[in-house]
Amino acid sequence: MSTAEPTVFVIDDDKAIRSAIKNLLESMGLRVEVFPSPREFLKGAHKDRPGCLVLDVRLPGESGLDFQRELANGNVELPVIFITGHGDIPMGVQAMKAGAVDFLTKPFRDQDLLDAIQKAIGRDQARRQQKTEGAGIRNRFNSLTPREREVMSLVVAGLLNKQVAAKLGMSETTAKIHRGQVMRKMEAQSLPDLVRMSERLGTPS
Amino acid sequence: MKEFLQELFSSDFMPHGYCYSWKPGLVWLHLVSDVLIAVAYFSIPLTLVYFIRKRKDLPFNWMFLCFGTFILACGSTHLMEVWTLWHGTYWLSGAIKALTALASVPTAILLLYLVPHAVALPSPQAMRLEIAERKSAERALNLVKEQLEFMVQERTAELSKTNKELIAEIAQRKRSEEALQAAQAQMARMARVSTMGELTSSIAHEINQPLAAVVTNGDASLRWLGNDPPNLAKTRESITGMIKEANRASEVIKRIRALAKKTPPQKAHLKVNEVIDEAIGLVGGQLARQGVVLRKELVPNLPPVIGDRVQVQQVILNLIANGIEAMEEVTGRPRELSIGAKSTDDGRVLISVSDCGTGIEPESADHLFEAFFTTKQEGMGLGLSISRTIVEGHQGRLWATPNTQGGATFQFTLPVASAAGASA
Repeated sequence: MSTAEPTVFVIDDDKAIRSAIKNLLESMGLRVEVFPSPREFLKGAHKDRPGCLVLDVRLPGESGLDFQRELANGNVELPVIFITGHGDIPMGVQAMKAGAVDFLTKPFRDQDLLDAIQKAIGRDQARRQQKTEGAGIRNRFNSLTPREREVMSLVVAGLLNKQVAAKLGMSETTAKIHRGQVMRKMEAQSLPDLVRMSERLGTPS
Repeated sequence: MKEFLQELFSSDFMPHGYCYSWKPGLVWLHLVSDVLIAVAYFSIPLTLVYFIRKRKDLPFNWMFLCFGTFILACGSTHLMEVWTLWHGTYWLSGAIKALTALASVPTAILLLYLVPHAVALPSPQAMRLEIAERKSAERALNLVKEQLEFMVQERTAELSKTNKELIAEIAQRKRSEEALQAAQAQMARMARVSTMGELTSSIAHEINQPLAAVVTNGDASLRWLGNDPPNLAKTRESITGMIKEANRASEVIKRIRALAKKTPPQKAHLKVNEVIDEAIGLVGGQLARQGVVLRKELVPNLPPVIGDRVQVQQVILNLIANGIEAMEEVTGRPRELSIGAKSTDDGRVLISVSDCGTGIEPESADHLFEAFFTTKQEGMGLGLSISRTIVEGHQGRLWATPNTQGGATFQFTLPVASAAGASA
């Protein structure tokens, strides 16, 4: 089992719906795993695997509410496609606000589900890539010395070397050396590149 | 013997005429007198025979026969007198006289014996008197009889009138009872339809779920067929799923139709757990939408109860719907609804629906089961009242108790089907 291959996680309390969706997605050549409740899903270490969630809005019980809260809190980052028995508008709005990829009404067109799943998986991949990227930037940032971090924050704020040197009470040459170190360690190609990384890190400017 | 007969019939003696010296006058006198006597004597028995044949009712009629015999014998002796005028067969005439004596002596003795009895016979006058008396008694009797008959007829008429009134009253009462039952059934049905109205979205969900599964499986089978090569095993599996789910949808519709149907209640053996599961099958969507966790505490293999399936289901549905509604305002803690079924010690099955909702206000407690009493914005106040009517119509009891940790428990009992007919 390769964890790299995206999996569609279907959570629905109705066994017939679960197995029908599983059947459909398998016929499309997708990898599917089904769960009767969010609790069952959360039991396994699935939430960090690549893929997406297909979720019935009306999940039974306490765990359903919790799960929705958990989704909102961002603990589950998998993109979510909601399915519902009824075209319940407020619920749809709520779902989309909570970051759902799509909101499908049962019975849905298979192509709609396929499109939504592809979109969700695409989004998940981008997210993962970004996350990996973000983790790289964070690692590189962590390798900077406190002095270098200070220099970086001023550089990305748009200060010139001279201004940086004055602000930190060092010579312009020293400031230049620090800046070169920052650019090298952060693997930044250019100043705008560094600015973008800084934004990703959320470094206060 | 021959000698005896010869002797008997011999006429060696002198004819009797000699005694009369053959004087024509004397001979004729005897001859004519004897012949006339004989004729008269012979005719009397004939008359007597005729008489007793006509009056068979006469007492002592055998006496007449004795007389007849005696007179007949006397007649014969006179005939013999005529014969012996010219023939001296005195043995024969003597023998006939002897026979006459034989006939006359017993007759005389019998007559002696008969006299007291004959004397005791009522005289015709006495008879007439008695007959008159009897007739008058009979008339009196007839009169009384007529009166009695009249009275009986009167009484019978009265009775049949009362009877008719009674029958009319019974019929009237039966009609009222039937009307009441029909009205109750109609009310129950209306409440059922109204409950179903409240559960429309839930019911729609219950039908939509299998339909969605059918469509999805249908899409899947098309895709399995479209694969190269077509995956027939998977196609078959998908179609099997479709059939199963289409049947499930059909089952739901059947159940709804049964609830909405206008059939008179039919008592049968019911498996309570089955009825509860069916009811839950109709409200599963509602429970899920309201985020209610359902806890089932159904004791397995309960004895069957006697009841109308639809009505019992109606009560359960009503209690579940009430429970869900009572928990609408519950936030921040789980909404839990428990449905239980168990046997009681006194041969009943107890069904309970327990919620953790707002509970029962003390001032409402006394009115909960009254018609048109409601604490809801949109309620008619009929659900619990009709539920109680239904349960009581099943010889059961429905009551409510507050829960110690908030919410209320509604429970009702149903009588267990007797062991004799527990074939369910």
